[in-house]
Amino acid sequence: MSSQPILRIEDLRTYFHSRVKQAFVRSVDGVDLEVAQGETLGVVGESGSGKSVTMLSAMGLVSAQPGIVTGRVVFDDGTPRELLEGLGRHVALERRDGRIMGVEKDERGWRAQAERNLTGVRGRRIAMIFQNPKAAMNPFETIGRQIAETVRLHTGVKTAHEARERAIHWLGEVRIDSPRLRYDNHPHGLSGGMCQRAMIAMALAAEPRLLIADEPTTGLDATIQARIVDLLAELRERLGMTMVLISHDIGVIVRLSDRVAVMYGGRVMESGPAAEVLTEGGGGHPYTQALLASIPQERNLREKGRLPAIEGEVLDTINVPRGCRFRERCQRIHDSVRARCEEHEPELAEVSPGRRVRCWLYQA
Amino acid sequence: MTTRYSQAQERVSEYSQLSAWSTARRADRWRVLYGAAVAVLVLVSYALGALHWLPRDPEAMDLQAMLLGPIEQGYLLGTDFMGRDILTRLILGIQAYFLPGLLSIAIALTLGALLGVLAGYRGGRAEMGVTYLSNLVDSMPRLVLMLLVIAAFKPGIYTIMAVVGLTTAPTVATLVKGKVLMLKARNFIESAVALGVPPRAIVFRHILWYNCRTLLLIQATLGMAEAVLIETSLSYLGFGVQEPTPSWGNMVQAGANYLLQGNLWVSSAPALAILATVLGFHLLGDGLNNMFEGGQRR
Repeated sequence: MSSQPILRIEDLRTYFHSRVKQAFVRSVDGVDLEVAQGETLGVVGESGSGKSVTMLSAMGLVSAQPGIVTGRVVFDDGTPRELLEGLGRHVALERRDGRIMGVEKDERGWRAQAERNLTGVRGRRIAMIFQNPKAAMNPFETIGRQIAETVRLHTGVKTAHEARERAIHWLGEVRIDSPRLRYDNHPHGLSGGMCQRAMIAMALAAEPRLLIADEPTTGLDATIQARIVDLLAELRERLGMTMVLISHDIGVIVRLSDRVAVMYGGRVMESGPAAEVLTEGGGGHPYTQALLASIPQERNLREKGRLPAIEGEVLDTINVPRGCRFRERCQRIHDSVRARCEEHEPELAEVSPGRRVRCWLYQA
Repeated sequence: MTTRYSQAQERVSEYSQLSAWSTARRADRWRVLYGAAVAVLVLVSYALGALHWLPRDPEAMDLQAMLLGPIEQGYLLGTDFMGRDILTRLILGIQAYFLPGLLSIAIALTLGALLGVLAGYRGGRAEMGVTYLSNLVDSMPRLVLMLLVIAAFKPGIYTIMAVVGLTTAPTVATLVKGKVLMLKARNFIESAVALGVPPRAIVFRHILWYNCRTLLLIQATLGMAEAVLIETSLSYLGFGVQEPTPSWGNMVQAGANYLLQGNLWVSSAPALAILATVLGFHLLGDGLNNMFEGGQRR
């Protein structure tokens, strides 16, 4: 596994302006992430922690009109590309007393610039799959033809016949049986699991360098979820795929990731090798530990009698409090650090090689 | 192995949902559709002048046999006030509305689909523009507009049908816009963007072709019914197709002079043809709607 990062996200911020509340929802608030060639990065966190929005922003898919995206996203598979380049020119912020009061966005210019930046990247070098695969496919076109479409768009294959053969090949790759027959199925004729397989085939048919899987198992039956995870694991081994896996299901993350990033309130709270970060009782950020404790496991239930949940609610990203974002729900906060927790937000500091934690408990 | 087994089971349960009743109904549906297809084929061949066989000469007057009822003296549908064969003239009357009707449909669908997609996909000003245009056109009585155009240019049926097409376009645009707005909220458009499908392909292929074609087809059949009505009413008023070229509208009009003498048939024959045709196109549209949209919902 080389350490050359294929995708580097620096200080990514995605704010949505809410006209009703006259305020910004800071969905992503300064995220740094790196994905190395060949590795699988798991991004985990509760709903609303900004996992998906991070990736959608990087891919220029934040479509809500008043959304502003800043920071740097560099995709490098030999030739570095800055995916957010020049977007700032299309936004004018209205400031009063140093606070952002409103936002004017040249929607068309913004979109055109994003399109320019992402041409030849989105779909071709970075492919993305979503949750709810049935809704993610055109209901009136056969799955085979949808896969053939990506083949013709993104690979050298241009003839209809060859594209068809490639599509059938990819249907086989994702372990759909009798792919030749399935080619002519419409999405509604397939089960959810099969649809997700077809969706994966569609993404992989472009032979991308990086696959972003946004909650690929959410909304599927538990047994089907396990099969999709198996399939992703197998494809990762066989094709040497680089992957970003977004999930709130720690079980899925544990199975597939080499490294993980734990997000809370639009920020990365902890990152590092999956085996270290996702070990219960192995130190680390209190939030990660609380997440791990809330997984229904035999041991958890036996020892504690009931399933511990994280107290409190997910951070309101409109009025982000001073100090640590997780402070109000933190179980391990104690008097020696309390003052600092309330006053300043900790840095994402390295605690051991490759492992970073954003917590005062680990910083002198 | 277990994967194979469960997938096979899935498939079995999928097919067993089709009961004998619904398959029978499906067979009936096909029979109706084949029947309609043959009828349309005959109609189209006459309309395009590909089929030349006519029962009699449409212009030949038989002064010995004027105003005959059906099946009198060997005239299947009788004769008009000049002793011309009604059946022959009815068949030729198809030509009066068919091609002009196609023109109006082509204009309405092309323009409507483009405007609708523009309004739905782009939103913002484009959407507002299309809505205003649609309201503007809706607020004008169409017949008056057509008479104005006739007055300004010449009373040609193609000019009239172009106006019909232009005035129908906003209706189609509104329908397409609604559909596009609905589709835009669905994930597959976003995922197509994420897979790098260019906007042009998304609009034309995924939205228009795959998801609006049935809507447009249904609109086309309804548009044809509309065209028949417009052509016949204008020809009835004397603004459309002019004698001696037969059209159903001017046939009704010509026959109307003899109604009070008790010759109901001369006017009724073309009127019934109009009724049957308009009803037929509406039923066709309705059937297509049930077949495609209903099938989707099931």
